[in-house]
Amino acid sequence: MDGWLDGISRLTILCFAGTYALALASELVRLRGGSKAWWHLLPGLLIGIGWLVQAAYLANLAIQKRAVPLSSVFESLLLLGWVLAAAALWLELRTSRSRATLAGPLVLTLALAVVTVAGTLAPRAGTQPGSGSELAGWGMIHGMFQTLGAVGTSLAFAFAGMYLLQARRLKRKQAAPLKFPLPSLEQSDRWHKTAILATFPLLTAGLLTGVALVFAVQQRPGYLFRWSDPKIVSTLALWAVSLGLLIARYQPAWQGRRLMMLTVVAFGLLVFAVLGVGLILPTAHSGLAALPLPAQGAGAKP
Amino acid sequence: MKLVSLGVDHRTAPTTLREALAFDDPKRNQALEELAQSFPGCERVILSTCNRVELYLAADSEDTIPSAEALGDWLANFHNTPSEPMAGHLVSHHDEAVVGHLFRVAASLESLVLGEGQILGQVRDAYRAAADRKAVGPIFHALFQQALRVGKRVREETGMDQGKLSIASVAVDVARGVFDSFRDKTVLVIGAGKMADLTLQHLATLQPGQIVIVNRSQSRADEMARRWAGNTLPFDELDRALIQADLVVSTTAADQPIVDYNRYARLQRKHRGGRLALILDIAIPRDFDPRIGDLEQVLLYNVDDLRGQVEQNLKHRTSQVEPALAIIEDETASCLADIRHQRHAGALLRQLGDYGDSIASQELARFFASCPDLNESQRKAAELLVHRLKNQFLHQPRAALRSAATLANPELAPQPHAHPILTAVKHLFGLGEAKAGDRLDPSKPR
Repeated sequence: MDGWLDGISRLTILCFAGTYALALASELVRLRGGSKAWWHLLPGLLIGIGWLVQAAYLANLAIQKRAVPLSSVFESLLLLGWVLAAAALWLELRTSRSRATLAGPLVLTLALAVVTVAGTLAPRAGTQPGSGSELAGWGMIHGMFQTLGAVGTSLAFAFAGMYLLQARRLKRKQAAPLKFPLPSLEQSDRWHKTAILATFPLLTAGLLTGVALVFAVQQRPGYLFRWSDPKIVSTLALWAVSLGLLIARYQPAWQGRRLMMLTVVAFGLLVFAVLGVGLILPTAHSGLAALPLPAQGAGAKP
Repeated sequence: MKLVSLGVDHRTAPTTLREALAFDDPKRNQALEELAQSFPGCERVILSTCNRVELYLAADSEDTIPSAEALGDWLANFHNTPSEPMAGHLVSHHDEAVVGHLFRVAASLESLVLGEGQILGQVRDAYRAAADRKAVGPIFHALFQQALRVGKRVREETGMDQGKLSIASVAVDVARGVFDSFRDKTVLVIGAGKMADLTLQHLATLQPGQIVIVNRSQSRADEMARRWAGNTLPFDELDRALIQADLVVSTTAADQPIVDYNRYARLQRKHRGGRLALILDIAIPRDFDPRIGDLEQVLLYNVDDLRGQVEQNLKHRTSQVEPALAIIEDETASCLADIRHQRHAGALLRQLGDYGDSIASQELARFFASCPDLNESQRKAAELLVHRLKNQFLHQPRAALRSAATLANPELAPQPHAHPILTAVKHLFGLGEAKAGDRLDPSKPR
């Protein structure tokens, strides 16, 4: 199992991450003036291939573990990257050759970054992958909500970035780029609204299932759970900012750049919650859905 | 193969002369017929637009192609115009230069507005009109189809047709950068002058949901509203109109700003609910306080801002002239090589056919001489047999030659016979040097 993860999984991560990188490179060539018809087809084709390879990789991982691959940061990030790549593919396909915008390449960049970070967190030989318990199903549901919430937050961040760049260009009275213009302010704002509206219920559901799990696990002997755990605090902060975003969306005074800047803050919190906490601060929460095994009598991890 | 073009354009001739020499459709058709009578054996195309009138002629040999002077005289006679005054304005090109010139025209490098899109359609129309009148042969079929392809390629690779060059059309681009759909938007036009009308003409292409016109003179507002299927509001209800509007075009002749910062800020905060607003203040002096542009969710453009974008676009187009010329130079060499190659392959095909015919005729004559008793139906059967045999034998070499003729290879340009299949056929069948238009004399022994 370890060998499989350490060998084949690394190779396949390189496969789809490399394909996304090639897709991004072909976007850059197109941006630089590559005008042959196949330059317009190539990015979509490469993203599609990479996305299918990643889907196969995730399916393989799920079959091996007999669960949705959400039991570690590595797996959650892979799933997040996969959904973002799907969004990039959708944005790529919905723009015709004559109306290509920068939306697809920006979301693809985000997907590639997420997959690359996941690649650096891939488990090495000798590490024990998460395994099931009677609460693992709930853990998986919690992880799924959190991951989908992270997808929504990431997409909202991408759309906010597009909005801010476009607003900056328009305020500075600069001419629109001739190739790959950004979507209109109204379009980016509409996408942002959809992402925010979808994200908040997902994060809320993730939070509620997490709280329920905490109460269930706390009753087990030897388990020490702290509400002040940095992972919990940052996730709560993300949820609070997400709530703030939802409210701000309907406040006239918050429309426009202020709202988009708040989205950037939310994404910063997401990055901190997913990556920063484990690297900078000690946490008992090993992943978005990892739970200690009662059979092993495990307590809180240091 | 010889080519010549002759004509005038916006750089070489005044409008009056261009008007005098212009061809409308009936005139062009008549001219194509008359050119055929005056210069038989020539392929001919007439390109006539607002900014240029050009005749293009091609022929197989130097004897057939007219001189530029003769073509100039023909043009003067056709239009009943004295030839002396126009002589100094006529520009001619010959052979390779014709190809380069036509490609530059199709790519709109010779246009009054660099990179404009209409000329490609006009070249296509000129070619089609000539083709419909059977005035186009293999040279111009190849050349004009290539010109259309080059025009498209230059635009795609350089983006030379991108970026608008008029203030009104740049305003439309700005609006598209702000709003995604206009069907649910209200366009407010303040003022009812010519500039308002012109801008509205461009903005109407966005199909806004509602057009509202506010003007001090209600009658002019009503007149404009009728023209654009819009509504009007009295000038003293400007605030109401501003609250409704998503896109504002202001073009009044007021000597003071008609909307100050505090007034618009109050409307935006209290009544507009923070909705996006785009204000195109194209009045001079300005109608809107420039500080309004600092408000959140408000974008304010004045004439200088729009003109600045026009200049940026023009600068971009100018910067793409060199890359466009490089493409054209490359395509010119390639096109000439292709045409020559195809024509030599065609000539070789004809030589091959003539060669087969001459052998068939000789053998039939010999056979009929040795069998004088054959009746008419037997003779016809023998002729049919020989021709079918000839065609069977030549089928494969002909197919190979046709296939070779479609292969473009600019490197073969200096030696058109260098294609291995052409050379092989020539040697295998003992054919001489083929020149375009050559036909073999069947009686000539080989």
